[in-house]
Amino acid sequence: MTATVEPVIVDDDRVDDDTLGLRGIFDRRRRRPWGLRRRILATFLIGATMLAVLLAGTTYGLASSNVVQQREEAAIEATRRNARTVQTALRGPAPTAQPAVDALVSFGVQRALIWYRDSWTAGTGRYQADALPQSLVDRVIDDAVPAHIVTEVDGETNIAVGWPLANDAAYFEFFSLDEVSSTLRSVRLSLILAGAITIVLAIITATIASRRAVRPVGEAARAAKAIAGGRLDTRLDANGDPDLAVLSESFNDMASALQERIERDARFASDVSHELRSPLTTLAGSIELIQARRDDLPDRAREAVDLLSSDVARFRTLVEDLLEISRFDAGAVTLHTDELLLTQFVSHAVSVSSMPDTPVIIGDRADNMLIVADRRRLARVIANLIDNARLHGGGAAEVRVEIPAAGRQVAHIRVEDHGPGVPHHERRLVFERFARGGGAGRRAGNDGSGLGLALVAEHVRLHGGRVWVAVRADRTDGAAFIVELPAEDISADLDGEDPA
Amino acid sequence: MTVDTRILTVEDDERIRTVVKMALEDDGWTVLEASSGEEAIGLFTIHQPDVVLIDIMLPGIDGFELCRTIRRTSDVPVVMVTARDDTHDIVAGLEAGADDYLTKPFENKELSARIRALLRRVRPSGTPHARVVFGDLEIIPDEGKVLCSGTEVHLTKTEFRLLCEMAENPGKVFSREALLDKVWGYDYFGDGRLVDVHVRRLRTKIETDPAHPRHVVTVRGLGYRLQS
Repeated sequence: MTATVEPVIVDDDRVDDDTLGLRGIFDRRRRRPWGLRRRILATFLIGATMLAVLLAGTTYGLASSNVVQQREEAAIEATRRNARTVQTALRGPAPTAQPAVDALVSFGVQRALIWYRDSWTAGTGRYQADALPQSLVDRVIDDAVPAHIVTEVDGETNIAVGWPLANDAAYFEFFSLDEVSSTLRSVRLSLILAGAITIVLAIITATIASRRAVRPVGEAARAAKAIAGGRLDTRLDANGDPDLAVLSESFNDMASALQERIERDARFASDVSHELRSPLTTLAGSIELIQARRDDLPDRAREAVDLLSSDVARFRTLVEDLLEISRFDAGAVTLHTDELLLTQFVSHAVSVSSMPDTPVIIGDRADNMLIVADRRRLARVIANLIDNARLHGGGAAEVRVEIPAAGRQVAHIRVEDHGPGVPHHERRLVFERFARGGGAGRRAGNDGSGLGLALVAEHVRLHGGRVWVAVRADRTDGAAFIVELPAEDISADLDGEDPA
Repeated sequence: MTVDTRILTVEDDERIRTVVKMALEDDGWTVLEASSGEEAIGLFTIHQPDVVLIDIMLPGIDGFELCRTIRRTSDVPVVMVTARDDTHDIVAGLEAGADDYLTKPFENKELSARIRALLRRVRPSGTPHARVVFGDLEIIPDEGKVLCSGTEVHLTKTEFRLLCEMAENPGKVFSREALLDKVWGYDYFGDGRLVDVHVRRLRTKIETDPAHPRHVVTVRGLGYRLQS
């Protein structure tokens, strides 16, 4: 059962974009504010990024100062130790520092320099006196205090540590900081990686969280849709999220109130139906009994009975149609759908209508279209359209079953007449309740209830289709009432079957 | 129509009952009237009418219950009459065992047509076969008997006629409209559920597994077919 599709009644076969409101949708989309989910995601992302950067920065800062400091301390300690060795080697006093340097080299200390008796003695390689910053030399030799400084030697970062010795001598040593740099590089890399993982996790968490946060909204929307679609007993889970309890409770209250009201209306319609039908049964039956004895009646009585008879018939149609439409208004209509073969169904519906001889013309590819429909209601649609053609269109000329376009899963039932046609400005109005053809006024002997086309629109809407008036397919005078219904081609399923 | 055809009409609205009685008497039938289900059961056991008309809304025992009570002892044709075209009532009436239904207000000639269709000889109109066999299902139209794996199955007159109509043309697909016309005599747009409910009931009686019927199969979009 569905009641969500509004009947789109357009002026012609062509449906332009504006009728569908597409432009409006696109305009709105452009200006649409960010959705809840996107906002949650953005908040999470910004928060996580800031946190990751802050943590990584602090960690890196602490780690680097710590590592450098440790390295410095180690360097100073090593220098102090080596200086003592050198001091011992120089005792004597030794003529040169060369034996001391050689002793150091033999321990594996390569980057040593000794200032002894106003000259430099160096170890191996590039680590010569000119590589020492002057400020360090001044401090250690002139001021006789230990000192250290970070300096570049041939593009390599080093700590140069100086240690004053006795007799105006001094010991200097270079310590490479390359290890420290590479340690810090890997720390940096780890932190960047950790930050990236944090952000990815934040995105995942945010997606899940936002989906969860939005889920109750989705449930509420689905429930509202279900109620609109007629499943009136749909309720939200009131024991769910306590934060949303207010929403679900008020939603459920609303749904209950709605259900109660609709059921009351439906019950009323049903009671009215019963109360009206019972006397009508007696009335119609009695008149039929009198009509059967019509020949025994005096002329005037016969005339009166004929009048009575025709108005009882009209009244009956009116009551039936009013009851039917009140059921629509009460929202108490349920479809009892079957799968029907469209052409077969239409032919049969026409054959039991008020003009059974109306030709049914089957268009290309229209065979083997399956529709899912309530046969009573759809038969009523066809019967009402044929009645309309009979009363206002000078008799139905033909009924066509057509497939408007391949690929679109719809079928058209066109009821065409040779009447005066329906002027443009009345094409919507004819589907209004109690609409009467403009100008024509209230015709004598009109046996329509004035609700026929309104019921057609309601029935078709309930079937997920639409109905509109256009000009005849062959462009001659007359009107065409077109019913569009969802349909499915089942040619493949039907091979070899012979419809009875 | 035989003069002594008796029709029991159960209706609490006296005026409607009177009109119905007059109309049916015009057709030459004898009419028995009951204004409640209890009264109807009494009249039914004494007179054994040929057709029963039951209004669903009755004081005391309602129409459904009355129909079920009658069905327990008899396969007399039953027509349900309802003032509400609430589809619930209609299906419930058919499930309770009614053969057909009418919605108020009905025309006298419609009522007569329905009754006449129910009173028609059980035997279908086509070429007579002494017996028709569909696998384990055997139909003997002349004796009004259906055997399922050799055991006789009890069908109501309408169920039997429905089966016989389809047996006339084994393998042919019968649309609901065609069956309504042949079995119930509908020449207007009848209700497909009338056929569906009867097919369902028929299946529970003649199929080994009614959920997966082997004999009375549904053909999507078209109708039903009888096969072995």
